[in-house]
Amino acid sequence: MEVSVTLFGGLRHYLPAGSSFNKCKIDIDAGSSLEALLAKVPVPADKPYMVILNDEKVASDQYADVTIQGDDEVVLLPPIKGG
Amino acid sequence: MTWQQKILRVNLSTGSCEVEPLNMDWAQAYLGSRGLGSKYLYEEMDPAADALSAENKIIFATGPLTGTMASTSGRYTVITKGPLTGAIACSNSGGKFGGELKNAGYDMLIIEGEAASPVYLHIEDDKVEICDAGDIWGKTVWETEDILAARYGDPLMRFAGIGQAGETLCRYACVVNDKHRAAGRSGVGAVMGAKKIKTIAVRGTVGTRPAEKSIYQRINEINARLDDREGMARDGTLAMMDVTNGFGSLPTRNNRSVRFDGADKLNPEAMHTPNANGHTNIVQNGACFGCTIGCGRICKIDPTHWSVKDRPEYQGASGGLEYETAYALGAACGVDDIDAATFAGFICNEYGMDPISLGGSIAAAMELYDIGAIDDKTTGGIKLDFGNAEAMCQIAELAGKGEGFGADVAMGSKRLCEKYGHPDLSMTVKGQEFAAYDGRAMQGMGLAYATSNRGACHLRADPYGHDFETTEIEGKAKIVAETQRFTAFMDATGLCLFPAGCGWGVEDYQELVDLVCESDWNGAERMEETGERIWNLEKLFNLKAGLGKKDDTLPKRILEEPADVGTAKGLVCRLDEMLPEYYEINGWDAEGVPTGETLQRLGLS
Repeated sequence: MEVSVTLFGGLRHYLPAGSSFNKCKIDIDAGSSLEALLAKVPVPADKPYMVILNDEKVASDQYADVTIQGDDEVVLLPPIKGG
Repeated sequence: MTWQQKILRVNLSTGSCEVEPLNMDWAQAYLGSRGLGSKYLYEEMDPAADALSAENKIIFATGPLTGTMASTSGRYTVITKGPLTGAIACSNSGGKFGGELKNAGYDMLIIEGEAASPVYLHIEDDKVEICDAGDIWGKTVWETEDILAARYGDPLMRFAGIGQAGETLCRYACVVNDKHRAAGRSGVGAVMGAKKIKTIAVRGTVGTRPAEKSIYQRINEINARLDDREGMARDGTLAMMDVTNGFGSLPTRNNRSVRFDGADKLNPEAMHTPNANGHTNIVQNGACFGCTIGCGRICKIDPTHWSVKDRPEYQGASGGLEYETAYALGAACGVDDIDAATFAGFICNEYGMDPISLGGSIAAAMELYDIGAIDDKTTGGIKLDFGNAEAMCQIAELAGKGEGFGADVAMGSKRLCEKYGHPDLSMTVKGQEFAAYDGRAMQGMGLAYATSNRGACHLRADPYGHDFETTEIEGKAKIVAETQRFTAFMDATGLCLFPAGCGWGVEDYQELVDLVCESDWNGAERMEETGERIWNLEKLFNLKAGLGKKDDTLPKRILEEPADVGTAKGLVCRLDEMLPEYYEINGWDAEGVPTGETLQRLGLS
């Protein structure tokens, strides 16, 4: 199934060619975990981010326990400060 | 040596302009800019004096790195007693004015007394004159700069001054330089207005030179470490909009909520994407003196938009929405119209107002209107509903001119809400409006707001990383206390804070200071102690001004009304649990007063 993933801020730099402004589609098997989905998102491993799933933050130690559905909205937010 | 070792002191009451040596003992203890300027203010004025009286002083202070080739070296600080807060005001700005003042040969400009009639200051290196401002008093910031630029005919002359908001003593009037950079917070522009000084025009050719040429190469090497700047250059601080909205810490409708359903109309995508007319809000990014990041937004309003369609003077490109402006003139007021928010931001630059405090004050007025505490008769017929973009823009212009209900809004939300019988609806600390983070979802930020020496502020500490990691409070008191010291040190250098999010660590600031200051600044201990000394000095100023533990607090809404959605749903700010630990870490007693031992250790006793 295809899941829409939104990359905000500087993470947009890593979107695959042909993506919309800040979104890409990731193809995963039904029943996959959030951890499996994130492994397919083309953000380098040394770039930290937090994950918002359906408007709620998911702690990093929960990634393997969360199962992704086809209509889930997954957002990756970079750590930024100031403003 | 990149201190110029000279101060320009101008007394507007007597008309004298004197050059005096910089106190180098103080410079070694307080470094520069925010730190050294605060030391001079603390030593020279009674903190209990009225902020708008002739007894107050206003200091324009550069740092040892201002005007050098170090990246982001365009910063200077305006230090005075704040009319909005009654506390010390240290308001920092970028642009090109600070570097020009330093290049004219001065570390600091101290203005005291008050003029009998409007004046402006003209500085060209050692030529200094107080000039009649009768023809520019009543003009906007933009008009003033254009008139004086034409008068002197020097395209490199820089200006820092006030618009009508400063003249009419708007409590959050700012000092605007280079047309759209500003020492924005705490009402420093009203102090200029009270002293009847319209603007400072400066041109410098003295320059700044390090002691050895080899230092140039070493500064370049440090500049090259700023290698994570692309996101900031492309989206600016506005990138934060999606982060806080996603997390659930975006103050919305006067902090009634922590998530705004219109955030996607104000975010970087909205700024970069053509609208139905094919108009794109952003034109290009912009950079201050010496900056290699370029976070500034240069924007245009859609010329067919209702705010500007009959006003061509607002159809050109100018300073656009930063995150704080988009929050205050967007989410805080429930407004999701990017052109309207951009227009209100232009008004702030033109009239010289802090957009954070303006937006916070309008949001408070909208809540007063919503609950019936004020009505159409109070507002002069303006339907001040949350989300009414036209009403927000109308009030912004009235506040800038000090006219109608705008004069009430220009008092700031604390005085506004007190006047209309609902002081709890003012989202302020020490009378200064919140920045764009909710203290329930970001507990560390709540503590940082409550303890900020200049009133609610997002730039006096750096709790961001830990706050986005957890809403649990363990460890936050220590993070806030330590980063308040680091931030004070960084502000004292004359550099911007943003490199710390783009590849530099605090050790890079320290290395740069060590390079240019010809003394032993190589080591974390001196850096932290300098920052701590500055923080405690500011605290002492406030204590003498009459502020105390009762002022280290947050509005009832943040302490008692749980967040409605997002990561912190159901939480209030646990300030009471964090504050005692924060005081103890700082070496302060239970009332938040530095102990004798702390003062002695820092050389403040």
